[in-house]
Amino acid sequence: MAVKVAFMQLSDCWGCHQSLLNNHLGLLPVLPALEIVYWPAVVDFKHDSLKARENGSVLVGFIEGSIRTNEDYENVKLMRDKCALIIAFGSCSCYGNVHGLANQWNKDDLVRRKFSEVESIADGSGGEPTEHTPGFRDKIVPVDEVVNVDAYIAGCPPKPEGIVSAIAFLLGQKPFPMNDLAFCNDCSIKDNCLLDTGKLCFGPITSIGCSLKCTSNGNPCVGCFGPAKTVDSRAEKLIGMTKSLASISSGDKKNLYEFLTLFLNIPLMAGFDLAGDILKQVKKYGSPSTPLANLPPTTEEIAGGLMAFLRDNPDFTEISNVCDTCPRIIGSKSTMTRVKRDYEGLPNMEDCLIEQGYICMGPVTKAGCGGLCITVNTPCSGCYGQTKWGVNQAERFADTVLKQFNVSLSKDDLLAQVKDPIGTFEKFTLASRKGGV
Amino acid sequence: MVKVIEVEPVTRLEGHGGLRVVLDDDGKVQDVQFNITSTRFFEKFLEGRYCEHIPRITPRICGICPIPHHLTPTKAVEDAWGVKIPPAAYKLRQLLQNAKQYSSHTLHFYALAAPDFLLGPFADPALRNVVHVINKMPDVGKMALKMMDFGQKLCAAIGGKSVHPISAIVGGMKKPLDEDVRDKFLKQIEDQVEWAKKTVDIGLKVVEDYWDVVANVGVVPTYYVGMTKNGIHDIYDGDIRIVSPDGEKFDYPPQKYLDALGEHIPEHSYATHMYYKPAGYPEGIYRANTLAMTNCADKMATPLADEALQAMRAKIGNISHHTFAYHWARLIELVESIEVIATLLQDDDVVNTDCKTLDVQPREGDGVGITEAPRGLLLYHIWSDAEGICKKANLLVATNHNIAGIEKTLMHVAKQVFEDKALEGLKLPDPWIK
Ligand code: SF4
Ligand code: SF4
Ligand code: SF4
Ligand SMILES: [Fe+2]
Repeated sequence: MAVKVAFMQLSDCWGCHQSLLNNHLGLLPVLPALEIVYWPAVVDFKHDSLKARENGSVLVGFIEGSIRTNEDYENVKLMRDKCALIIAFGSCSCYGNVHGLANQWNKDDLVRRKFSEVESIADGSGGEPTEHTPGFRDKIVPVDEVVNVDAYIAGCPPKPEGIVSAIAFLLGQKPFPMNDLAFCNDCSIKDNCLLDTGKLCFGPITSIGCSLKCTSNGNPCVGCFGPAKTVDSRAEKLIGMTKSLASISSGDKKNLYEFLTLFLNIPLMAGFDLAGDILKQVKKYGSPSTPLANLPPTTEEIAGGLMAFLRDNPDFTEISNVCDTCPRIIGSKSTMTRVKRDYEGLPNMEDCLIEQGYICMGPVTKAGCGGLCITVNTPCSGCYGQTKWGVNQAERFADTVLKQFNVSLSKDDLLAQVKDPIGTFEKFTLASRKGGV
Repeated sequence: MVKVIEVEPVTRLEGHGGLRVVLDDDGKVQDVQFNITSTRFFEKFLEGRYCEHIPRITPRICGICPIPHHLTPTKAVEDAWGVKIPPAAYKLRQLLQNAKQYSSHTLHFYALAAPDFLLGPFADPALRNVVHVINKMPDVGKMALKMMDFGQKLCAAIGGKSVHPISAIVGGMKKPLDEDVRDKFLKQIEDQVEWAKKTVDIGLKVVEDYWDVVANVGVVPTYYVGMTKNGIHDIYDGDIRIVSPDGEKFDYPPQKYLDALGEHIPEHSYATHMYYKPAGYPEGIYRANTLAMTNCADKMATPLADEALQAMRAKIGNISHHTFAYHWARLIELVESIEVIATLLQDDDVVNTDCKTLDVQPREGDGVGITEAPRGLLLYHIWSDAEGICKKANLLVATNHNIAGIEKTLMHVAKQVFEDKALEGLKLPDPWIK
């Protein structure tokens, strides 16, 4: 049976949906599994038809956009009522996005500039349009300021593949078929089992069928072939190790992260946070079977344990940032001696952009995009969101880069040379700053 | 009794809007309102930003056409600072802009417009959408997807991301295309040109089928606004061109936009109404977008597209007021974009690393940049201080340029529908998809 989904758009740009559509042919396999009950951008259902639905009767609601108008506010409430799961879809919905920069001003200042002062107004008209318009709220807020959000897909926009795998996950689909046997059967280094050396390897629960590249290079299996129908006896050892996750090494943390992304098809790398217990919710409401539903109990125990751990340790999911996925050299031949503006010169393609003098938000930005901006020689501006919240972002940036990069500037000098700190360090997240601007 | 017909929301539209038609006791149309219900105040919060960061912020105005919202403010800042860009950067930007035009026009035709034509306007709303078109006409559907995919991938290759590109910088482009990437796209060009032509054929068939509608519904004389370069159709660079309802043409360099373009703040819409200033409001209300562009152009920039334009003109005149011909004009622009892409991909400047001026200095002053976005003229006016920080910004985006004209057209159509009952006698074809 097709799963009912609704897509809502608040004040935003449509780009998350464009990104979803950018999967083009890749969308064809998921479409038949969806029953789209609301999607004004594409489908002709009117607002009343959503209102008329029974509460909780739509399984998944994607909300794109942030809350600028009273209409946005009402629509968020409506979606929460109608949908069992709410996904904050894109950085507008997750953090407020660039238009959150408007929170530096009062509503009246904003309205005056746009509707009264701009140079092109030429016929004496002006003032806030109020006839059949919803009215503005004082400040822009992200969706979770108004209702509970079950999961976040960050990015402006989120990567196409990430969105599809998020949807596939919610539908309980797996990207690869499961084989009967576990990876350990084929493992190229069976006799020097990595689990015995204390490394987290997911071979015992992962399906056979790959080229064995990871273990042949001495690296643990991260589960990219998905779950196997049976588990290897070594799974007991793995269970034990996954019970003491708090103390695992950073390398193991990375494996874990990849495992969850690939094996369970949870697109963590697309910025998909486990803020709510999605699995529990899907199970509770769900006609779709979760990816865990048909798994061997041992596999389910391991995977469930990891998910719960991640949920309770949000810090843990903050370990990956854009630098982790960036091919440039940190500790390169270059050193930042003053802060350069983006229009200055042209950086080389090898050295870290910070070390070449530019402000790159990579080290403080959540991984997920794969370092897209850097591939065209442009610094990251932070669209996937901060890796840490509730702190002074400018200072955190300075502290981080002084510690980890070739920078021969004092913290004060570095910060003094940035003339637009809010636009530089909180371009996408100002509306999420606790306590306001 | 006064009767109000509300459509909420207007679907398959970028942005947020509702439509209200008010009829009086005698069924006469009293009022038509197109209520655009959201805006985010870019005109204010760009203040205080580094001017060179503006092109990284403004693409978020529109996820369907972020490319023009990336390139146009870059041009405005270059104008303000007096920066000249290398020829390689110019061509890369042109290629980027046309790649967007190609995917956007394909999306518009197949995903936003075609469901109406292929299923007929009275089809079940649950089915009248692109998903159903793909299911029922898989060959056409897949072709459309491959066309959009080509355009979007080319945007991503040049811009870094197709949605919200980043590679343009004041002074040029941060990186050219890699040669192997360029070659990959070149290999697909032949197919793409074929498919563009096939799309035109489908379009012409639709025009023929719906001729009664094209020729009789929503034929509304207005002014038009567009961009031409020395009179020739161009979407990356040129002057503002206005065409009057009877076909007179007026050119304005971008910096003189305030002489030509007036903004009226309506009481019922957050998207403001634009008009031709010398003619006043509402007399000077103009329309933008594809048909406005073909009305403005003396000719198209490429041979196949120009041929297609001449064919359209032979049928509906040099200056056309036929609202439904917007789809036709869009297909002409679609062909031009793939021809321009083909030419530029063969030009070695698009892989030339000399694509950024190294010597860029901020200076105090203001600058204006324009391009033609897929939905109409786009204009940025940016004021910079001596350090290159934005003091003030004014944006005239495609929605502004279209909305008053759309409302005027809707008024006309509403009268046709509710007063003249003109639709009842219309000849409609059998839907292609049943
Ligand atoms: S997150 Fe970005 S792409 Fe998505 S709607 Fe917001 S501005 Fe557009
Ligand atoms: S700071 Fe930027 S350029 Fe440097 S490694 Fe991180 S993401 Fe790459
Ligand atoms: S590099 Fe940074 S700004 Fe660019 S897409 Fe990734 S997270 Fe967003
Ligand atoms: Fe504006």
